[in-house]
Amino acid sequence: MKKIDRRIFLKGGLAGGAALAATGTAATAKGAGTFNGYPNSMGVLVDLTKCVGCRTCEAACNKEQGLPAPDKPFNDTSVFDEVREGGQKRRTTEKAYTVVNRYDVEGREGGPVYRKFQCNHCQEPACLTSCFVNAYKKTPEGAVIYNPKVCVGCRTCMVACPFYVPAYAYSSATNPVVKKCIMCYDTRLKFGRPPACVEACPQEVMTFGKRTDLIKLGHERIKANPGKYVDHLYGETEVGGTSWMYLSDVPFEKVGFDTTLGNQPIISYVKDFLGMVPVVLTVWPALFTGFHLLANRKEAKKKEEENKG
Amino acid sequence: MGGRTRKVLGVTAMAALLSLAPHAGLAAGGPTTVELGTLSRLFAPVPFDHAKHTGLAGSCAECHHHTLGEAPVDPNCARCHRANQPAKSVACRECHPAERFGAEYLARLAANPQLYHTGKPGLKGAYHQKCLGCHRAMGGPSGCEDCHPMTEKGEAFYHTGKYAPAPHKGGHEE
Amino acid sequence: MNRLVGRGFQPITSLTKPDGTRWSVKEKLLLGLTPQDYMAVQMRNPFNWLLWLIYAIGLPVLVGRFIYGLGWATHGSYDYPWGLFLAWGLFTMVPLSASGFMMGTTVELFGRKDFKPIERLGLLNGLLGYLFAVMFLQVDLGQPWRLIYPMFVSLGPAAVLFLVAWHVATYLSCQVAELVPAYSEWMGLPKAKKAIKSIVLGLTVAGIILSTLHQGALGALFTYAPGKVHPLWYSSTFQWFLFLNSAIFAGLSMLIVVSTLSKWFLRWRCDDNFKQNLDQLTVGIAKGAALALITYLVLKIIAIAHDNKWEYLFTGWGQWYVFEIAVGVIVPLILYTRAVRNESASLARLSAFIAVFGIALNRLNTALITFNWKLYQEVPHWREVVIVITVYATYIVVYRAILARLPILYTWKERS
Repeated sequence: MKKIDRRIFLKGGLAGGAALAATGTAATAKGAGTFNGYPNSMGVLVDLTKCVGCRTCEAACNKEQGLPAPDKPFNDTSVFDEVREGGQKRRTTEKAYTVVNRYDVEGREGGPVYRKFQCNHCQEPACLTSCFVNAYKKTPEGAVIYNPKVCVGCRTCMVACPFYVPAYAYSSATNPVVKKCIMCYDTRLKFGRPPACVEACPQEVMTFGKRTDLIKLGHERIKANPGKYVDHLYGETEVGGTSWMYLSDVPFEKVGFDTTLGNQPIISYVKDFLGMVPVVLTVWPALFTGFHLLANRKEAKKKEEENKG
Repeated sequence: MGGRTRKVLGVTAMAALLSLAPHAGLAAGGPTTVELGTLSRLFAPVPFDHAKHTGLAGSCAECHHHTLGEAPVDPNCARCHRANQPAKSVACRECHPAERFGAEYLARLAANPQLYHTGKPGLKGAYHQKCLGCHRAMGGPSGCEDCHPMTEKGEAFYHTGKYAPAPHKGGHEE
Repeated sequence: MNRLVGRGFQPITSLTKPDGTRWSVKEKLLLGLTPQDYMAVQMRNPFNWLLWLIYAIGLPVLVGRFIYGLGWATHGSYDYPWGLFLAWGLFTMVPLSASGFMMGTTVELFGRKDFKPIERLGLLNGLLGYLFAVMFLQVDLGQPWRLIYPMFVSLGPAAVLFLVAWHVATYLSCQVAELVPAYSEWMGLPKAKKAIKSIVLGLTVAGIILSTLHQGALGALFTYAPGKVHPLWYSSTFQWFLFLNSAIFAGLSMLIVVSTLSKWFLRWRCDDNFKQNLDQLTVGIAKGAALALITYLVLKIIAIAHDNKWEYLFTGWGQWYVFEIAVGVIVPLILYTRAVRNESASLARLSAFIAVFGIALNRLNTALITFNWKLYQEVPHWREVVIVITVYATYIVVYRAILARLPILYTWKERS
């Protein structure tokens, strides 16, 4: 319920009438401040150095989420050679909420790096803050879930997501909705169990736990293995922090991570506009009515002068 | 290592013990084969040739860390575990929990803030990281089915074998 | 029609026939022609044949989009969620329709009654532009039947799109109200006109607020995608104002374009008041557009300086950006300024056409062309293009039909 407080503040700023808007100005500043996440929310720490590219997580996700049968078997590694438009590797789709990609990093001992990719479950999700039907919810457990029953299909969340995660059921004419990983919230996370992919992984690439503990664990692991890891926990601060975080032994940008995203949550880029809304709502009526009176006064004066002359 | 040698890795201690008998002299202080099968579901149990691996590993501590009383290989571990007493059991599952991320184990972790080994892998992770880590480094077999054949459940899970998608049906277009 | 009027035909301009009886609605719809004559006129117009061709191809495709889904009709993808429907239909149509609040403000608020002859055209251009922006949105939404969800079912008030939805909806009603006088004259319902007249100032102020916010909000929508829109087209701080600012000259330029087209193709419907004042009004509008353009140009430069993005100017994207600014902003700015100085309406008209092209280029650049500049270029599906042309053709048909009937380009003769 705490999440709602923040929304109510913004509600005051955006939707409220002129009366509400006055208080909304101050409240927006608070509402648009950083949200550091729920204290006990769970997360996953992904250690890329451990992944061997077996795709068991993909299979587990498919089964747990009841997704349609894949185009190729899940133990078929030829998918790593698939290339999409613009030379891109595979990404999440309406039929696959997680995918593993292979990256051949020059000069790395021990062969290619495999990277599992799914929704990162942001602390302040761009999808959530951009959704005009409030379909998304960040649960206290850490998952970013959504209600497909209210999805209108505007696809703004897909535009907003800095990680290109939400997919859309373009193939459906009657009930197309946005689809993405929900961290197995309905079937597992809610009951304190780890997501299916985490449990299925033979290599224990992923560690499930409290996000705050995982941050400590990640830094400990970096420290305990001098020279092995890049000294950065991707997701600890990116776009305001994410519930899924990553350790890597090669620079993150070489294995498909966007390292230019910055540490501000996406909503902070929209704040300049959001802050203006209550100002316009309150000031414009007075300002323009004033203009009107001014314009009329001039006209009246003119008439007066004409009458004199 | 003395008399405290009958140590088992997997569940089927009986099988291991039986198979050990004829080769007692060969496997210096360990079983010859161990069937690793507690987690078997998608894949059949692994008939682990313990004797062969003791020869390859050089040191028992390579896999058993400090539990045999030997000095651990990793100097970081050695800081505390240099002069350890041998543990009562050296089976992997003794220390590595099968339900690594279950609520019960996570609660145990949380209840003990002094615990150092918070990042200790679960049983499945321990097996694979240890076995596969070495296999890949040494150029040993590293495919899933090189060690354990897939079960029918596994085929259904991976949509392969009997359950493979029909080749003509797979396209992206609907 | 121009030819018919040339031969002395008088289209309906008042409630009553010369003999004193009232025109029936059917007669008014047929412009005072017999059904046979009306059909003959329609058949003679080559533009109608073009429309039939567009519908012959476009309607089946449009229907197909609702049967087979967006995946069939568009190249909308996971990476490019928005295509031509929104890039053209929403992000370009809406600024081109800003004329409604501009003219309302000029005439009703600033008391510039001299712009009265073109006020209604400005209002209608606004109303229809918004209406068809919503039509385009309906074509693009995955589940158009859920359009009212953000209004009544599940509210996400912290989202920019929520604001767009509410403001476009309320502004549409606002614009309908502002055009009620034209409709009430035509239908002979003087009470409605009177009622609107009493609240016209309120409507106009509401129009300014709503327009400021949703024109800005359309820009703010892109601030959600800082890494996806090319930095030269992106400004967290100024995006909303750049969109609002450019909507001002976009709306004014579109009004000049529409008035010019009306002058050419609907000459028969324009009365002397409109025809005689048009040149002078066009120059007046050009003055406003020039002011908005210079502000926009300065702000564009400030936006680049603010985020220190100069280096991007020297890339391929930078050249494209310079092209957009040169053709879409600087050329119309120079032409408008010359037009104002020389009081040349025809130069202002040329400038208006260029400015409309420029604004379309800017919106397409932001929404589609530079979007995902780090990935790859999305090229719309041919069906997407066909659907856009079809919906836009419908916009023109409705536009023309209303202009031919309601007193927009001519003054209703009230005999009371």
